[in-house]
Amino acid sequence: MSILVLIRLTLRELSSKVTMYILAGISTLVLLGLALAVSVDSMADGEVLKLFGQQVSPPVPLEELAKAVQQMQAGLAGGLFTGIILFGVFATAGVIPDMLERGTVDLYISKPISRWELLLGKYCGAVAAIGLNIIYFLAGAWLVFGLRCGVWDINLLLSALTMTFMFAALYAMVVFFGTWTRSTAASIILTYLYLFILGGILHNRELTLYLISENAVYRGVIDGFYYLFPQISGMQENGAKQIMQVEMDWKPFLQSFFSGSVFFLAAAVILKRRDF
Amino acid sequence: MHALECEQLTKVYRSGIRNKREIRALQEVSIAVESGQIFSLLGPNGAGKTTFVKILLSLTHPTGGRALVLDRPVTESRVRRRVGYLPENHRFPAYLTGEQVMMSFGSLAGVHRSALSGRIDQLLTLVGMQEWRKVKVRKYSKGMMQRLGLAQALVNDPELVFLDEPTDGVDPVGRKEIRDVLRNLREQGKTIFLNSHLLSEVELVSDRVAILDKGKLLKVGTVEELTTTESSYTIGCQGPLPDALRTEADARVLGVTFSAEGVVAHVADPAALNAVIDLLRKHGVLITSVTPQRSTLEESFINLIKREIPS
Repeated sequence: MSILVLIRLTLRELSSKVTMYILAGISTLVLLGLALAVSVDSMADGEVLKLFGQQVSPPVPLEELAKAVQQMQAGLAGGLFTGIILFGVFATAGVIPDMLERGTVDLYISKPISRWELLLGKYCGAVAAIGLNIIYFLAGAWLVFGLRCGVWDINLLLSALTMTFMFAALYAMVVFFGTWTRSTAASIILTYLYLFILGGILHNRELTLYLISENAVYRGVIDGFYYLFPQISGMQENGAKQIMQVEMDWKPFLQSFFSGSVFFLAAAVILKRRDF
Repeated sequence: MHALECEQLTKVYRSGIRNKREIRALQEVSIAVESGQIFSLLGPNGAGKTTFVKILLSLTHPTGGRALVLDRPVTESRVRRRVGYLPENHRFPAYLTGEQVMMSFGSLAGVHRSALSGRIDQLLTLVGMQEWRKVKVRKYSKGMMQRLGLAQALVNDPELVFLDEPTDGVDPVGRKEIRDVLRNLREQGKTIFLNSHLLSEVELVSDRVAILDKGKLLKVGTVEELTTTESSYTIGCQGPLPDALRTEADARVLGVTFSAEGVVAHVADPAALNAVIDLLRKHGVLITSVTPQRSTLEESFINLIKREIPS
């Protein structure tokens, strides 16, 4: 029950922030633009998918139109995920540091809840807030593609769950940084540092870090680091596969689940030991 | 029964990475508070008062010693269902209204939703915040925040309430109202643990007082015990005092001063007091009363702290 109260409080907290309205506003604008831009035209040699009146797919028979639409949906979902990473982290990174501020944390910890429950409630609340935004956008996109192209693909809706999971894995890392540093700015910077620099280097470690040494221990440590962090690129690739109904590789999701659990546990340990 | 009990409670903060600096916030403090009392903890800034309360609420971990709240170890989160807390400089989420604060923190305190609305009505009326219940707390003044904080601390009908500077920022009328609330809670059998700088306030409501300085417990006792000046007595006399008496008192260095009310004897022990009484009787003075002199809590507190400074 306490966790549900904390989720509700976090949703309220985030809904009071202008960043969440900006996120919802951008989603709405993109959906409106999409509704105006995307269309299907029937031509003599088949159906053509158009964007802003420009043909974006070769003429295909009606039964194959879904494939072209799925490709567009996958591209859109990829763009959405990048947006969610950038904006979602920015919008929610303050949840933990704000809770840990003097005068606020006292009110929470003096209640009959354990510290890990407190962390879990806040974590779930932030993930739920971003999840609702993802559902809003993808449900809107599903309607647009259904109404404008006649393609009602359930996989686009299901990808909302996958994408929320991806954010949840990443957010565990944000929670860790937030608990450790107690600073919103530091959490955002460290997360972006991983996403834009370290993540890329580790993902392409065979072309970068492996060149420094052939030592097996060194490479083992590098691999350990790689698997310690959520597999953002791997999950993103497989998210697109889900929409395109290609067989998915679940390994990046499992690894990210493990990574998220490690980061969350580490945050819980730090919080448990800390004096306020 | 003790509402709270601690033995040899010690807290050492360590800071710095290379040259670890130690700050001994609490040094083997042992206190027991009986149920149904208003107990106040006094001390100058940095004495360790807030650290002490934070340990009892599991906000801070002790370095040593043992602490029980309502007969349970402080680390047991369930015991906090029976405890209320108003922190110093608390910050309620600014996006909530007063009513939402009460609802949210009441639920977190384990109060069932069905019982909450009636309780919230009752408490907001008690602290005079009923008409502000639908207003966001970001618009509240400091005094209003304190009132809401007090209501929040009582939302789970706690057996033990910790109040850290509850009248901070509250106007004199509000302070009186808060004192009345505290007395009323005591009548209901609740235990109140008060941390306050306002000694005059503490004096008015407390049953027992502890004085803490530099992490050490200096004294515990009732307000009367703490304010009684052991070595000074006012001796009430009838009629004028003879000059010969003044001369002899000065000559024998009895530590006597003369005032309109009579004689004030500053004596080291009861034998010296009796010597002064004998002298008065020898000069035919009619004694009407012998009363130990009392100082205010503030005077006693300052004297006690000053005495500790050289150590």
